[in-house]
Amino acid sequence: MITASSDTASPQTAGARRTTTRRDRAMSGVPIEVAGLAKRISGVDAVRDASFVAAPGRVTGFLGPNGAGKSTTLRMLLGLTRPDAGTALIGGIRYQELPDPTGTVGAVLDIAAAHPAMTARGHLRSFAALGGHDAARVERVAELTGISEYLDRRAGTFSTGMRQRLSLATALLGDPDVLVLDEPSNGLDPAGIVWLRTFLREFAASGRTVLLSSHVLTELQHGIDDLVLIDRGRVTWSGPLASFTDRGTSLEAAFLELTSTAASDIEGVRA
Amino acid sequence: MSRLIRGEFAKLFATRLPLWSLVIAACCGGGLTGLLALVGPENATPPLPGLDTAEGVGIVVGMSGLLLFVPALIGTIAVTGEYRHRTIGTTFLTAPRRGRVLAAKLLVFGALGIAYGLVASLFAGTAVMVGAALQGVELGVQLGALAALLGRLALAAAVYMILGVAIGALARHQLLAVGIVLGYFYFLEHVLMIIPGVNVIHPYLPGGATAALTDFTFLSDAIAEQLPLAAAATTSPFVGALVLLGYAAVAAWVAIAIPLRRDLR
Repeated sequence: MITASSDTASPQTAGARRTTTRRDRAMSGVPIEVAGLAKRISGVDAVRDASFVAAPGRVTGFLGPNGAGKSTTLRMLLGLTRPDAGTALIGGIRYQELPDPTGTVGAVLDIAAAHPAMTARGHLRSFAALGGHDAARVERVAELTGISEYLDRRAGTFSTGMRQRLSLATALLGDPDVLVLDEPSNGLDPAGIVWLRTFLREFAASGRTVLLSSHVLTELQHGIDDLVLIDRGRVTWSGPLASFTDRGTSLEAAFLELTSTAASDIEGVRA
Repeated sequence: MSRLIRGEFAKLFATRLPLWSLVIAACCGGGLTGLLALVGPENATPPLPGLDTAEGVGIVVGMSGLLLFVPALIGTIAVTGEYRHRTIGTTFLTAPRRGRVLAAKLLVFGALGIAYGLVASLFAGTAVMVGAALQGVELGVQLGALAALLGRLALAAAVYMILGVAIGALARHQLLAVGIVLGYFYFLEHVLMIIPGVNVIHPYLPGGATAALTDFTFLSDAIAEQLPLAAAATTSPFVGALVLLGYAAVAAWVAIAIPLRRDLR
């Protein structure tokens, strides 16, 4: 008798659902789907009707000028901020309702830091315990992010670049299927930026999802597959990076055009 | 839930806070009480009853009740530190059900509060006994009665630490929260104690309930001597304990309920 292997079992069948492992999810992939997201902060529309998808197996860049609503969107996606309208789903589920949040999504945010008095090891151990992950993951994520030598130093003594690596290490504790990174290159030196780009590429190549924000266009240019442009709270363009640059102009010119023209013009070019 | 409690314990012990808390507890418990016991309360200005009287022991031990704002401050600083150092984002990402996180935190700090209280009481008790021995007087109370009094102080310390955590969770801003705790215990409650008419509620304020719990009426008696006021009454130790636990329960409930809806920025 032939039994369906876990790789081919349909996740829709009730029986398979129970036995669906995280590896299966990685095979089919865990997408990020944002639809109609809106948020007013202190009387300003920080995000207006934002919709986009970040697909598994691809690196999606979330690009926009400072104050465009990138961080607010990502915080709504991660359940840290409540949206006024719209939904943000990860694999079809809201972040707060994920059965194993840090085992599904790893996030690098500026509002998710390490206590300066803790050693990197103490920080990683604490959050491994809080997330229900094996303590052995601490050494593993330190290796992955290149901070093994610094594990016993206090986070307060870290440079900005090291702090970003520690933040990424924390995000990887649960071996997630999705990575969400808000301005991860801040404070990284050029070698660090190249390292991060390579790391994210490999992460996505294994069928997993990467969504990273930046306000620096050139930083995303070489590292992403898909692009989501946001300006003044609106998603003004989204699609494959290739078709964005096919518009005939240089990426920079297109970016400037899309982020400086009036909102009415932007409607016309929205993907 | 047990995972969250383990996680919160891991976080607590990844810093030196537990160690420092207990050192501070030893100083607060042993320090003020020890000083008074060694000098001899009868040598204080104005003279107080000696250690050979039950009243004297009560006053000397009860003095450490005046330092109960310290465990409250420890709780407040620990919780607001999560906001100040922006680790709260990491915490809420790891455990998005915030109510449970706060509940775990309150349990963990309740445990630290009990440890704090036991250490402070141990040192206060030792100080009183050493003080009496040095003066060559018999302690004015039975050992069992002393232990019971110290136990009540330990309970008060745990409650104050929980109150501190709750205030910190609500205020979020570290300086603001510390200001609230100090402003209340150092200033507001004493003001409420001397306003005629208003001071009838004093037994039901945290300080008044603590005074009842530890039979420590020294302050209100002193105020009554200085001012044309009836001494603010205290309730029985049992009611005092209930009032304090009530405050802890309300503070805990508010601390669990409020952060649920707040945006993190």
